[in-house]
Amino acid sequence: MIEIILLVSSVLFIFALKLFGRPSTAHRANTFAMLAMALAVFSAFNFDFSKYDSAFYITIVVSGLLGVLISKRVQMTQMPELVGLFNGFGGGASGAIAYVELSNNSLVMSDFFVAIFSMVIGVFTFSGSIIAVLKLRGKLNNVNTTIANIFSAFLPPLILLPAIWEEMEILSLEYFMLLALIAGIIRVAVIGGADMPVVIAFLNSLSGIAAMSAGFIVNSIILIVAGALVGASGIILTLLMCAAMNRTLLDVLKGGFGGTAINNEYDKEPISTSPEDVAIQLSYAESVVIVPGYGMAVAQAQAAVKELTNTLKDKNIEVKFAIHPVAGRMPGHMNVLLAEVDIDYEDMFTLEDINSEFSSTDVVIVLGANDVVNPLARTDEDSPIYGMPILDVDLAKQVIVIKRSMSPGYAGIANPLFINDNAKMLFADAKEGLENIIKSFELV
Amino acid sequence: MEATFLLTLLITFLASFIGYELISKIPQTLHTPLMSGSNAISGITLIAAILIYPEVGESQLLKIIVLIAIAFATLNIVGGFSVTGRILEMFKKND
Repeated sequence: MIEIILLVSSVLFIFALKLFGRPSTAHRANTFAMLAMALAVFSAFNFDFSKYDSAFYITIVVSGLLGVLISKRVQMTQMPELVGLFNGFGGGASGAIAYVELSNNSLVMSDFFVAIFSMVIGVFTFSGSIIAVLKLRGKLNNVNTTIANIFSAFLPPLILLPAIWEEMEILSLEYFMLLALIAGIIRVAVIGGADMPVVIAFLNSLSGIAAMSAGFIVNSIILIVAGALVGASGIILTLLMCAAMNRTLLDVLKGGFGGTAINNEYDKEPISTSPEDVAIQLSYAESVVIVPGYGMAVAQAQAAVKELTNTLKDKNIEVKFAIHPVAGRMPGHMNVLLAEVDIDYEDMFTLEDINSEFSSTDVVIVLGANDVVNPLARTDEDSPIYGMPILDVDLAKQVIVIKRSMSPGYAGIANPLFINDNAKMLFADAKEGLENIIKSFELV
Repeated sequence: MEATFLLTLLITFLASFIGYELISKIPQTLHTPLMSGSNAISGITLIAAILIYPEVGESQLLKIIVLIAIAFATLNIVGGFSVTGRILEMFKKND
């Protein structure tokens, strides 16, 4: 009976992933996955609910309610933090289970190593995720890479220490746990904010791998299957994010990229524009592409974007959204913010789909994005972003950049787009700038 | 024992392969709900906690550690699915 429940659960998980392939069926995928999870968890009890005391049930009910509460209250702009936090919880749980199994049982050799692996990965995911959340909340600045390098250099001897120093042997489990904890903290602490999409996706993958290896210890096939699915999903997203920045995972994890201005010199003044002029410019356009970036999320400008979109569509102007894979702080961050204000996903385009259209676009509005539209990625071989796939907005007829100042983006370099002949700067916060444009429309 | 281990390993590879094939086809628009959804699934480690809880024995410390694991995993599952549902609801409205 249990086997049949587990079989149904595994199949449901795979179906859920299949349904996830299209926005129109994706909400059903979530229902399938929830059902699969409920069956899997139910089967673990093996129809014997009396083995469990009240502390067990109270913990489940209280943390379940807490989960619902958190998920209902979180803002869509805080999604990266929330996913980061939940990654940490998943990894922490697997790490804790592995620790208990290691200290409680005499495991066979193969299980022993899997358990050590699960514990180390789980604890690393836990501490790394907590640091990622703190960084996303702006509570922690970049840490100097020197500390991380010193730690990495000392890591091999630190790992071997219990083997040499006999008195440590009894403590070695806790010792390895501590090392994993510190490694997670240091590794993520050196990585800059705009690299967080990679970090979050990577930690997501690790939480799956930790769960999968926990499945090996307790001999649960469903745990292995589900863990492997999560591990695979995280790895795919990690590699997509890295490709979108033309960097390797190792390079991102090494840290120290960005955050400091390398070169922010311009050899001419940018053309500054006003909300009124932008409104006039837009009302003569036939096609408009909006490029949202992290600045839109920070300014909470989604509602203003929707309002402008409606205003333009009422004038029969075509409006599209061009979304770079690493725009924002997690994969798909911008899409969710736009969907939140009811912008049709059919109007959201990926880099591959829209890049050929820029040359025939009348006006591009760059809203809080910078490095992902920097043409130096195509032209300057010495640039830190050289080779990164960018949105070719500089090829459009006119470009309006809504930005508070000329300050550089994450890569710390000047963006020649801002002084291009076809570009004008509207110096404003994303939300305020858009609202002023909308107001000006009423006067046009 | 050896054969079971190899079979398990085979299942692991097959699951990873199916996962890779299906997930590669998911559009960029859905990457955030994919992450929060797969995130919820990683809480399935709750099963391991349920399986080992009755076998922890007398040690109060170990029992507390398992309870922490249960709390973390439950939060992960319930919160993860709930927030994924919220996000996907926003995409559904557009149909």
